[in-house]
Amino acid sequence: MTNNDIADAVVIGTGAGGAPLLARLAMAGLKVVALEAGKFWKATEDFATDERAQDFLFWNDERLSAGNDPMAFGRNNSGTGVGGSTLHYTAYTPRLQPDDLQLRTDFGVGEDWPLDYHQDIEPYYDELEAFLGVSGPSPYRWGPARRTAYRYGPLPVNAAGRLMEQGCREVGIQTSPAANAALSAPQFQEGYGWRSACTNRGFCQAGCNNGAKASMDVTFIPLAIQYGAEVRAECFVTGFERDTSGHITGVVYEQNGETKQQLTRNVFLCAGAVETPRLLLINDLANRSGQVGRNLMAHTALQIWGEFDDETVPWRGIPGAIISEDTHRANGLANYPGDFVGGYLLQSIGVMPVTYASQMARGRALWGQDLHDAMSRYRHVAGINILGECLPYAHNYLELSDEKDSRGLPKPRVHFSMGENEEQLTSHANQIMRDIWTAAGARNIWAFPRNAHVIGTARMGTDPDLAVVDPDGRSFDVPNLYISDNSTFPSALSVNPALTIMALSLRTADKFLNGLSTTH
Amino acid sequence: MYENTSQTPVRDLLQSDRVTPATRTALTERLAQPPVTEPQFFTQDEFVRLQRVCDRLIPQPDDERVDLAGPIDERLANGTTNGWRYNDLPNDGEAYRLFLTGIDQAAEANYDRPFDALTDEQQADILLLVQQGEAPGPVWQQLPADRFFEELLAEVVEVFYSHPMAQEKIGYTGMADQTSPPAPLLHKERGVEH
Repeated sequence: MTNNDIADAVVIGTGAGGAPLLARLAMAGLKVVALEAGKFWKATEDFATDERAQDFLFWNDERLSAGNDPMAFGRNNSGTGVGGSTLHYTAYTPRLQPDDLQLRTDFGVGEDWPLDYHQDIEPYYDELEAFLGVSGPSPYRWGPARRTAYRYGPLPVNAAGRLMEQGCREVGIQTSPAANAALSAPQFQEGYGWRSACTNRGFCQAGCNNGAKASMDVTFIPLAIQYGAEVRAECFVTGFERDTSGHITGVVYEQNGETKQQLTRNVFLCAGAVETPRLLLINDLANRSGQVGRNLMAHTALQIWGEFDDETVPWRGIPGAIISEDTHRANGLANYPGDFVGGYLLQSIGVMPVTYASQMARGRALWGQDLHDAMSRYRHVAGINILGECLPYAHNYLELSDEKDSRGLPKPRVHFSMGENEEQLTSHANQIMRDIWTAAGARNIWAFPRNAHVIGTARMGTDPDLAVVDPDGRSFDVPNLYISDNSTFPSALSVNPALTIMALSLRTADKFLNGLSTTH
Repeated sequence: MYENTSQTPVRDLLQSDRVTPATRTALTERLAQPPVTEPQFFTQDEFVRLQRVCDRLIPQPDDERVDLAGPIDERLANGTTNGWRYNDLPNDGEAYRLFLTGIDQAAEANYDRPFDALTDEQQADILLLVQQGEAPGPVWQQLPADRFFEELLAEVVEVFYSHPMAQEKIGYTGMADQTSPPAPLLHKERGVEH
């Protein structure tokens, strides 16, 4: 397709929000073009088992982090390249639980989702888990009973997982092998070929090099291309052309230093919860509600680390092998009463050496001989962490700063301060995780405070005055603009977001296609 | 479990068939990288001071040294970042320059000598004051000392533990990423499809 052909849809961003709908639209016979800021890698040849060499996976354009709990970006939670952040996600794919969608109903704060779990989300989970090849236990201990088993059994449990099982047993917490979107057996993927089973290399967060992990570049992207989608890498979108009725008619982007424009009938903005609101704010678009950039949330993600007598070889195996959702609500554990809205999951974690050393520097502030001593015990380290609810607050938001990036566009400034609920929840988790690690035999236990996954900056809702997009992901203000990424989440959820982002992506595509078939 | 008694286990691995080409290339290039002697971003004086700082943060034996200040100079000269910075810090290059001026001011205030002329212990004491946000000197009125120290320490530590020689010291062997047999069937099967 040339820039002067009119595409049926331009998809901006190829991560968990963009890639599934790109494939869906292409399979429906639409002419679709994806514009991706990053490069198109060939992971099996390009990816090294080395954290520094893999820095190219992260969105390293500078963001300004403000507030009492400034968010780390880059390696912490933002990606670039065809596949987006799925290139470096840990592939942790728990399902949300139905009550995650009704915080306001249950607690009187936060937001309800305008969606029904069984009708709007569960069918897509079923489809995605089979397509991606999620490895997990069936039955699964928490949430509604699954209608189908996971396609593959769980991945092997590494040392951190075994220690979490042991510690949890002693303090009375149930555990289970976790669902991970990485293959425990080879799988043939349409448009790609055979994806290998996971080799326990443990480098999910620095990019999988054998196709075992279900990142978009080995799943939905090749499927989309098979059905005729065009993926243009290294294209940075800067703006839009619009007609007098307010419809978008073209997407403006930079490629190799040249400004180009792709004509299109529809736009799907899937750039993640920082770049999506940033692009809208820069273009003063789709913001009649004033909610673009507001309601910014981030999962509470406190980590607890400890050293064990036995070697753990912490870089080996799927990092998040074991899960517990007994803490999904504050009243989940009789011996650990809590008082907070929502809840969290518990997860065992492995860690790569540079990430661990860097977190020791920031979290324990060790240097000199103290640092050498602590790092000499790296082979004995294991971690456990949470992924928890975060409420939206007026004081947490994204804005455009006066500082410009290399393209002359304003850098985003992200304000984030934990509220009382996040403090309470984190404090509850801190005690539980220390008890688990103590029971498992850990010494030198230390905590690394962390918040991850930006969420909520272009929220969905039913009221155009309070939300940016409707429940289908369609902009209230710009009729041919859809948003599909974690910016549309009305609440943060007490689970990792990737699987739900993909589910909403497929749902938005289906709603869009339904609309086409009823109007023609 | 970890029974490799070689003094250079990672370097041995890189010579073996247990490492994929992409990984071998990344690590052998890093090993072969000569230390920076002519800084591109810092002045020579600043660079030498930064080297002293790195020596205090991560002491190293004389016979096997990882260049720590060099990669920082290269990054700042290239203008790349790690994707974010604290809103109350100036841009990375300016923050580093202010820091290097600031530790000189603190050294003069406490010892009547420039930082470079202090003993190792005195230099470490100055850095500790910076880390605690208590270093004397006008620079520290405009540069949040503890925040910058965290950024500095994280960068130095990341440079160090990315290096095969440092990874040997902590028994890390995860770069042995070649599975056997290598890359089963992938490309062959893709060919069969057509």
